[in-house]
Amino acid sequence: MAKPPNRQSLQMESSRGSLLQELKIIWDEVGESEAERDKMLLEIEQECLEVYRRKVYQANMSRAQLRQAIADAEAEIAAICSAMGEPPVHVRQCNQNAGSLKEELKAIIPELEEMKKRKNDRKNQILEVVEQIKEILIEIRPPGYDLSTVAVDESALSVRMLEELHGQLQLLQEEKADRLRKVQEHLSTLSSLCLVLSIDFKQMVGEVDPNLNETGGFKNTSDDTIERLTCAIHRLREIKRQRMEKLQDLASTMLELWNLMDTPTEEQQSFQSVTCNIAASEHEIIEPDALSVDFIKHVEAEVLRLEEQKNSKMKELVLRKKSELEEIRRRAHLVAEGGSETEFAYEAVENGDVDSSLVLGQMEFLISEAKEQAFSRKDILERVEKWLAACEEESWLEEYNRDENRYSAGRGTHLALKRAEKARILVSKIPAMVEALSAKTTAWEKEKGNEFKYDGVSLLSMLEDYTTTRQEKEQERKRQRDQRRLQGQLTAAQEALFGSKPSPLKNVNKVTRTFSSGPSRRPSTPGATSQSDSPRSAKSSHAYRKSDDGSGLSAVRRDLDATFMSRKPFAPLVSDSNMPSTPTKCNCDNAEEEIGTHKSCMKIEATAPVSLTSQAVVIDMPREMEYSFEERRAGFVVKSSS
Amino acid sequence: MSAAVLPTSSGGRELSNPPSDGISNLRFSNHSDHLLVSSWDKTVRLYDASANILKGEFMHGGPVLDCCFHDDFSGFSASADNTVRRFVFGTGKEDILGRHEAPVRCVEYSYAAGQVITGSWDKTLKCWDPRGASGPDRTLVGTYPQPERVYSLSLVGHRLVVATAGRHVNVYDLRNMSQPEQRRESSLKYQTRCVRCYPNGTGFALSSVEGRVAMEFFDLSEAGQSKKYAFKCHRKSEAGKDTVYPVNAIAFHPIYGTFATGGCDGYVNVWDGNNKKRLYQYSKYPTSIAALSFSRDGRLLAVASSYTFEEGDIAREPDAIFVRNVNEVEVKPKPKALPAPPP
Repeated sequence: MAKPPNRQSLQMESSRGSLLQELKIIWDEVGESEAERDKMLLEIEQECLEVYRRKVYQANMSRAQLRQAIADAEAEIAAICSAMGEPPVHVRQCNQNAGSLKEELKAIIPELEEMKKRKNDRKNQILEVVEQIKEILIEIRPPGYDLSTVAVDESALSVRMLEELHGQLQLLQEEKADRLRKVQEHLSTLSSLCLVLSIDFKQMVGEVDPNLNETGGFKNTSDDTIERLTCAIHRLREIKRQRMEKLQDLASTMLELWNLMDTPTEEQQSFQSVTCNIAASEHEIIEPDALSVDFIKHVEAEVLRLEEQKNSKMKELVLRKKSELEEIRRRAHLVAEGGSETEFAYEAVENGDVDSSLVLGQMEFLISEAKEQAFSRKDILERVEKWLAACEEESWLEEYNRDENRYSAGRGTHLALKRAEKARILVSKIPAMVEALSAKTTAWEKEKGNEFKYDGVSLLSMLEDYTTTRQEKEQERKRQRDQRRLQGQLTAAQEALFGSKPSPLKNVNKVTRTFSSGPSRRPSTPGATSQSDSPRSAKSSHAYRKSDDGSGLSAVRRDLDATFMSRKPFAPLVSDSNMPSTPTKCNCDNAEEEIGTHKSCMKIEATAPVSLTSQAVVIDMPREMEYSFEERRAGFVVKSSS
Repeated sequence: MSAAVLPTSSGGRELSNPPSDGISNLRFSNHSDHLLVSSWDKTVRLYDASANILKGEFMHGGPVLDCCFHDDFSGFSASADNTVRRFVFGTGKEDILGRHEAPVRCVEYSYAAGQVITGSWDKTLKCWDPRGASGPDRTLVGTYPQPERVYSLSLVGHRLVVATAGRHVNVYDLRNMSQPEQRRESSLKYQTRCVRCYPNGTGFALSSVEGRVAMEFFDLSEAGQSKKYAFKCHRKSEAGKDTVYPVNAIAFHPIYGTFATGGCDGYVNVWDGNNKKRLYQYSKYPTSIAALSFSRDGRLLAVASSYTFEEGDIAREPDAIFVRNVNEVEVKPKPKALPAPPP
């Protein structure tokens, strides 16, 4: 109580004093003992001390409270700062300046309020984001998704946290957008599938998730939904594929049937849409109702109708196939083995005993078999045709040669002549033809393992027969020729004895009628001639000379030469027959050439050049000496002494 | 071969500076594309056939009826003035190797024997040794009488084939000329024009004035003689009549053994003797083919297109020498195709 006494205290003093005065009075009145008065005064003192103590204690308490409040506030601020991830904006520093506690408190409270506000703001921000996240999650996560984890963490309200959350939100928004897109895609795929298959799209979608049908509303895009959508699409695709297969099968059947029955184009037109897709792949078919059940039923019905049509035409078809088969066989000169099988089949169809498609198939098989056979026989058949044609010409030629009047100048003689010439060439080729044909046939037979039959007859035996016949004919001819030659020789010998000169021309005509059939050759090709004799000079005798050529002409000529005893210029040393080793040349021609030769031989005295039908000969030599061109050119003359 | 492009229808490149009168023979050298040509204009000419250059010319006393190479630098000639001459191209020198009694028709040089062989219309064959000192007395090795005037000669290896008038054919072994190895007669009925031995030495081809060629063999056994044959060629068929031309020249392809014949019809045909086929016919030449020769590698064929007096002294085409390139397809033998063996 160092304070200077102020008015209040003075008052109190005076009150205290007055009270004591009073008390004193009282006591005096009462007569209290000093001890008692001292005790009472002590009591009063003590009681007053007590009051003081109590008041101090309270003041202490309130001071402690203040401190606590400050500390609390500080703590709270610190907590907020840490929660918000900010450095503690410390009040402590102000504290130094503050002074009294009350002032401190006064200072700190608004700050606290401030922080609180900020924290709240932050929290709201975060809450907003979290709410948004929650929203999206609900949309994009499956229904049972635990959202509890998505909440505001009071202790994590930092800016970074906010940013993180923003980031999350963005990701989720993207995801949502993705999913939405996916769902849309799926939906559109589904829609197009439904279109093609003629299935109710809304219903389909509803099955997957009723929510999806809500226009503009909330669209669940969770994995669940997407999966279900994918499943649905899969299912529909499967259905589409199946239907497509079915339709394509039907279409190909339809095509077969059209082909089989030659259906007119107009009829085919209406099903153009089906047949054009016959080879399409799954994703190529997109027209609405292209694969609807109704449509497929429609096509099915058509196919059925065509089948029925086919069945009714079957008989016709079988007949047609039958005639086709027969034609092929005929052209290939094939005789069907067990030829009645087709008849049987036909009757069976007629009676309805047998499934006509089976029969048709069988016929097709037979036809293709026959075609194969015909093809393999083609080459040989062509040759056979040629050979037969040549044989015809051969027999024509034989006829012709027998005709006495064939050189008479009539109409068509020259044509016949031409034909005869061609025929001769052809006939000469026959043996080679036959040989080649036999060789080919044998090779064919070896390859195929069975006989080559021409209209039911073995071709090789036909060829053999022909060759044998020809040989026989040749023998016959040869015999006749030999006979005639013998005749001629006898006659000539006789007449030589009696001195007359027979005209060679007479014999020529008779003899050269037939021609030998030696191995055939083409002109200008070297061929073997039977020149085994060495020709003899004119000094030989009358002896009948053997020659393989068998030409009576040469025999006659040779003997003539012998008769004449001397040679004419350029007369052959041995009368030449154009050795009929090339029967391609008409012997009549030979005869003519020989005649020509003969003529020139006859004209011994000719000084003018006479053609030997060759450009070779000039016969104005002083002697019967042969000279070469060079000798003539050089004017060389052999001296008579040599 | 020359790089000149021949027009497709030509008979070959025509040599410039041909002889001025008929060509009696022409020959390719064994060493190069030099061509020796003998002519009735009394010259022997040497050409470089590929380059178409006249490299040398030798005058004789009379028409030159045949010529042959000795080596690439010298050759021999047979002349109607009865002489056998030798000439050297480089130096232009020539001398008379020997004489006959009548025009010398053929001359050949045998590498095997190292001798010159000549045949003449004096009915003799003479052999000369060119290495001896010059002068007819020194060089004559032998004289061998023939049945008739010699028309053609051919050599292969040690064999000599002589064809004479009267269709005689004598075959000699050069190592023993005293006697002919074979005395034969031509299997053709008409006058012999030309005889040529096969390059493989198994026989000879003989041609006549009657458009025919005979293929003969030296082997006189049955087997050998069975192979011989004759064929008609160089004939024209019109209205059923054959016009027959002499076959003046035969030349064998050195590699393939096929041969070409040339006739008075102006055609050159190429034949495969083994397979008895005609391989090719060249387009017609202006006039008769007087001579043919293949180059040593068979890639060139020299054709003498020169009237051979078959119809006497008449107006005629100018004499020309054609050198043509020979394509394989024209001369390669064509064996008969055998039937395909079964699979």
